[in-house]
Amino acid sequence: MGRLLQENFYLGEARLRSKARENTISVKTLVQELGRREGRRHCPQLQPSPRLRRFSCLSRDWLFEVPLGLLAECIHEELALQCAKLLFDDAPTGGALAWLPTEDVAPAPRGCLVYPGGEAMNLLCFQEVALEQVAGGLQPHAHGRPAQFELSGRVRQVAATRVAGEALVGVRSDYHCGAWRLQTDTAPVPLQVIRTDAPASCLTVSPHLPGELSVCTLSGAVYLWNVETGLQRLRQDPETAFFREASPWRWSEFTSHPRVLSCADRTGLQCLDVRAPTSCQFDLFKVGGEAECQRGERVMLPMYLGRAHPCQHLVATQFSVYVLDERFPLVPMLRWEHMLEAPPIFAHLAPGRSQETSHKVLLGAHRTQELLLLQYTGGSHSACQLTGPPRRLHPISQGLQHLSPQVTPWQGLLRQRLAAPAAGVTAAPAKQEPLEPLLVFQLSEAGDLFYQSLVPEPPAESESSEAPTSPPSLPVPAVAGQPSPAWGASLGSGSEESGPLPGPVSEGSANAGQAAAPEEAMPSVGLAAAAPYGCWLTALIRAWSRRPEQSQPQRPPTIGHQRLFTHGELSQPAGASPLYRQARQLLRRAMRERACLAPWALGLPPTPLAMPDPVEPRAWPDDLSKRLTASWAGGWGEWWEEKLGVTRAHKLHALRDRRRRLKQARSRRSLFGSFTSSVTYQSDLSDFSACSQPPSEPLGQACEELQPPAPVCRQDLSPARAGRGHRPPAPGQDWPASPLASSSQRSGQEAWGSQDPEDSSQLLSSQTLSSRGIPKERRKTLRDYLAIFTQPCPEPPAELPASQVSSLGSQRWGPSSQSQRSTGSQPPRKRPRMGF
Amino acid sequence: MDSFVEQLKRGTEEEFTEESVWDGSAVNTTSSSLPAIYLPLLPRNLRHPTTRGRKATEFQETKKACLNYIQDALLQHQWQRAAEFMTNYLETLENTSAEKRMAAPEVIWRIGTEILCHHSKSSIEEFNYFAEQMKNLGVKRYLKVCLEHVFHLLCNGLIDEAYQNLSLAEGWRYGEQTTAQDKELKLIQAYKGLLDYYNWTKKRTAMLELDGNFADSVEQEMHSFFRQAAVNLREIIKIPGVWDPFVKSYVDLLEFYEDYDEVRQVLSEYAYNSKFPPNPNAHVYYYQFLKRQGESKKTLMSVLKILHEIVPSHELMLDICQLQKSKLQILQICFTPRLHSQEGKISDSEEICEETQLCPFESIWCFGFLHASLMFTRCL
Repeated sequence: MGRLLQENFYLGEARLRSKARENTISVKTLVQELGRREGRRHCPQLQPSPRLRRFSCLSRDWLFEVPLGLLAECIHEELALQCAKLLFDDAPTGGALAWLPTEDVAPAPRGCLVYPGGEAMNLLCFQEVALEQVAGGLQPHAHGRPAQFELSGRVRQVAATRVAGEALVGVRSDYHCGAWRLQTDTAPVPLQVIRTDAPASCLTVSPHLPGELSVCTLSGAVYLWNVETGLQRLRQDPETAFFREASPWRWSEFTSHPRVLSCADRTGLQCLDVRAPTSCQFDLFKVGGEAECQRGERVMLPMYLGRAHPCQHLVATQFSVYVLDERFPLVPMLRWEHMLEAPPIFAHLAPGRSQETSHKVLLGAHRTQELLLLQYTGGSHSACQLTGPPRRLHPISQGLQHLSPQVTPWQGLLRQRLAAPAAGVTAAPAKQEPLEPLLVFQLSEAGDLFYQSLVPEPPAESESSEAPTSPPSLPVPAVAGQPSPAWGASLGSGSEESGPLPGPVSEGSANAGQAAAPEEAMPSVGLAAAAPYGCWLTALIRAWSRRPEQSQPQRPPTIGHQRLFTHGELSQPAGASPLYRQARQLLRRAMRERACLAPWALGLPPTPLAMPDPVEPRAWPDDLSKRLTASWAGGWGEWWEEKLGVTRAHKLHALRDRRRRLKQARSRRSLFGSFTSSVTYQSDLSDFSACSQPPSEPLGQACEELQPPAPVCRQDLSPARAGRGHRPPAPGQDWPASPLASSSQRSGQEAWGSQDPEDSSQLLSSQTLSSRGIPKERRKTLRDYLAIFTQPCPEPPAELPASQVSSLGSQRWGPSSQSQRSTGSQPPRKRPRMGF
Repeated sequence: MDSFVEQLKRGTEEEFTEESVWDGSAVNTTSSSLPAIYLPLLPRNLRHPTTRGRKATEFQETKKACLNYIQDALLQHQWQRAAEFMTNYLETLENTSAEKRMAAPEVIWRIGTEILCHHSKSSIEEFNYFAEQMKNLGVKRYLKVCLEHVFHLLCNGLIDEAYQNLSLAEGWRYGEQTTAQDKELKLIQAYKGLLDYYNWTKKRTAMLELDGNFADSVEQEMHSFFRQAAVNLREIIKIPGVWDPFVKSYVDLLEFYEDYDEVRQVLSEYAYNSKFPPNPNAHVYYYQFLKRQGESKKTLMSVLKILHEIVPSHELMLDICQLQKSKLQILQICFTPRLHSQEGKISDSEEICEETQLCPFESIWCFGFLHASLMFTRCL
């Protein structure tokens, strides 16, 4: 490339001289300019330099940073991936939010909230939270600053369990998994980190043994991870368990037995024994094995419901939720269609305290932020049964209604912020005897943490407070025969003292607000709920305005109309002239009458159309013009056939005809030249009509025929196409210079145009004979003698093919003797017979 | 420059052909390389505008929106709001789209039932009226509607009405529709048998309390109930499935009339027939029956060993200790690896974990299973 551009690119140090500057660019200046611009890359006032622009225009078609084909391929691949991810992303399955209750059951129960923060969600935060009871609900209060750990990747999942007095927190990012130990009143301790080759898809913490976790990767491997002894691979199978499914997603959970793990893929669940993973396994759930499985149903999230019942598992698909029992595999205890728009990938279990109270399962969807509360009882002493209809909890995005109308300028930003996909769901139960309120936390991908408080309504109360006018406290009618208290969503808090939950984690601007957000759709509640939202909003706006200028969206450059139009053009109003006024009136009238508005209705004088000058067809010799001329005259079909060469035979005939006429004219001139001229005529014809001459032409006829054979030939050679206007070309007509015509002309010239045959015919005429001094008596003898040679030749030159014969003949007919010529004229007439 | 233009032209042509190919093969490539999950609803911004096909009419759009509102109200327990929307949604029965018209009765039935079940002002009369309307609306799910109606009546304690409804439904004949709903008919018969059994137990207690002349007539009635119940229950038990309540009542009936051979046959079939799902309760019932019969230890042990295979932490495992005096054999049974494996070797250190398995979990006496037919009442 350098060599190609050598003459126009000057690589030297010295300045260019005036002559060379016209066609040469100094690379040194170019590079200097580029360097200068690199330093001011973010300057908004930077004007594009014409030199650089010209250079980029020049080199645009060859100077690519990445080969175009490769780039297109990569972009295409990435777009397909992003599209699938937009539809459904399974990376955040499980949720990145966990609640760990501490042991003490004080009047204000406490716990630790584990969630990711930071701009890239790579900051793991452990926040101590105390739950206070206010006005029938629960109110979280953050204690102290959160303990933070900066990780090298985005936190996808946080799993936490408390076993034997100490809590173990497992954190999964794409290629790393880490474990933290959390003890009361001490800072969390990081234990171990593992790195996986394929992205990890699952991390669960054992509820039985401390320090034990299970890890799945997208390559189909399932590991048991003991913090002390390390990893143990249980299975490595890229294929799905029951039928073929493309998704590499895997999940594993612990079961009632500490040494048995359940492994899930999109097609179902299998249980395998850690001690003998290859041989000891059984199927727990099979998609399609159930009677009412829908087409295309896939496992989205399995969860071990060990805290509700040691043998129960929850399996969520995109249509239904199943409760399974390990002791009775393949037969679901409970099935229920959840009717969520997006598949649920977050789930949280809040076990009931006693046999009578129901277990609450929270199901959360990722993209749509949907949150559903499902309650069920039974499992051990009675059959599994749903208690009451499911309840939808408010998603984060509904908080927009509570914001005061003053924030209109921020409306778009807030809507975008609040509509961010959910990242995790958890719940903190409070062990307060009469009512067991539940505090539900919801984390969005933007880093906002919201809570809502759920208070159960005792059945007795629900009977009394059935007022249709107060939907916010609309109680759950207790299902007949269900002893468990029904639950209703109620306002979490409305008091002023309810500040933002954890102090705003203002490490990054994206993590501006983490606010407590009690949610209720009613306007009366909205006023009270606006207070915590206000706190969140101020924090968010403060962080937003603190952002560096460059990251805020810039207005696209606009061009003023002054640059497009002159001042005079702009100052003159367009509709001033009376003509415009008239036009407008007409337009209105036409609209009123629903008539058609024609230009003549405007009253404009009809301008006569200028007739174009007549075209001389001969002035346009090219093909297209000729064709147009022909079609204008109506003979386009013929012209086309002519062009295709269909009329070749026809033309040949015309040529022959013309020659014959010339002959006749000549024969009238010389009385005795008819014999020889007919001979030469035949031989000439044989030259180029080898393929088109009819074989049945009698020999003698051709010899003695004196009148022009045109009518005969015309019959023979008339084109087969019917309906075609038979129009022999006039002798003087110009033929298009087609190769066919030229060849026929050329061959005509070869045979006919040369003057030798004419000379020889003149040689035999009586005038020439007499002029050569041959006496009259002997002239007869001579003619008789010569007539012998005109007899048909008995042996034709059969060994030569036709074309060669004809060419040989034409060669032989050079300026040679008459006898030669006459014998040479024979083979073409024999040829047709030869062919048979 | 010309060559570049030519290349560009060629490039765009190739692009064009690639695009045209893309339409056809896109589905395959994405489905093969990417995790393609079939989602029930596509997000609105990803739905490609299609010009083909019939455009949804305004009517259908309205009904769809109405259905969304109803769903929203149902999930937020706003029954009154849902009922108001429901009155508007009934128009969908006249839907122009044949497919939706066919589906409409079921949707209305399900939503209406849910609303009537939970609405504070609904009464049982209204529910009966609604159920009758729904039965007339679609013969294709006549028996399902009947079953749902019966469950609702039973939940409200109206056993006689439920029994009446079941008898009516049992005699329902509607050409091919009857054979198409064969499964539902079997269930209806079974539940009728269950109610017969309920009546039979009532008569039995009455008979035991009464003495003298009345006892004979009561006994006669009791026998007739027994015959009806036994026929229906025997039918349903023959079909592979989970029939715990039916089996228990059938066994109770037979044991009262001392038909032990039949009981033994039914229970062993229920427990050991491979066509039936591996129901742990079936083994428990069989074991309890054998124990009542005073069978030998060996027979009891064999039943318990099979139960141990399925549920090692079952409460009945304690019976093994009583039956088996030798501790070595108990250990042998307890530490046989679960999960249908023969070759699983367990090291000594892991036995501890196995031992813990028996202790921490609460005792499981009988975990009745909600069987499939009951589930669809909560499907909505």
